[in-house]
Amino acid sequence: MMSIISVVLGGSLGAVTRYLLGIYINQHVKKTSMPVAMLLVNLIGAFGLGLFIGSFYGITNAGENADAFYLFLAVGFFGAFTTFSTFSIEAMGLWKEKQYKLFSIYLLLSILGSILCFISGAYLGAFFIN
Amino acid sequence: MKNIIAIAVGGAIGALARFSINMQAESPVGTIIENISGSFLLGILTAYFLIRLTKEWLRLGLGVGLCGGFTTMSTLAFDSVFLFQMESFFVVLLYLLITIFGGIIFAFLGFFLGNKLAEIQINKAEGTE
Repeated sequence: MMSIISVVLGGSLGAVTRYLLGIYINQHVKKTSMPVAMLLVNLIGAFGLGLFIGSFYGITNAGENADAFYLFLAVGFFGAFTTFSTFSIEAMGLWKEKQYKLFSIYLLLSILGSILCFISGAYLGAFFIN
Repeated sequence: MKNIIAIAVGGAIGALARFSINMQAESPVGTIIENISGSFLLGILTAYFLIRLTKEWLRLGLGVGLCGGFTTMSTLAFDSVFLFQMESFFVVLLYLLITIFGGIIFAFLGFFLGNKLAEIQINKAEGTE
């Protein structure tokens, strides 16, 4: 029961934070054909998850411990804060508009960017803890 | 405020559904299933709501909340690093290619299906008038 509450709380908080931050970014970033808002949200979320994992669980034995705190932050909050479905839809949109170059850049920035942000976060977290 | 509540509820359901699948399927497989099926569902909703306009809170609750909370990019990054440590670079590449192109192809399929569904509904509504 505790695990369900953790995931539900984290998930709703994560989704609402993504929505509000998305609105904020769209208001402050100049409009381009590149879907910047969700790209930034995903990069920030991947960095945040990395920071959390690196700080509390270490980089090497990650994913083994599923306590309530982990379920709240990693599965619930960061899981719901970042999103893949919007990425797919935005990529589909760029492909439909025949913006193939932007499509490729968007793919690379989203995926490699998220992985690099996660790794930087994890190393930074592990560094501060040790 | 209505929008925020709808997104919170959708996000909670999405995250819980993702958690349930993670309990059944091992990490990378579970994430693949979630991200591809979530992209498919958002494709349906995007096309459907383009034609059949509905209340904003419902659109946001289902799209931003449910689909957004169900799919995840941070776990994808985590999975990739984990797979690199446990398996090999080739497995990571395979995982990424399946997820990315699976997600985009299923977004297209969903979009096509949502378009058809909305058209069928409109034709039905016109038939009954």
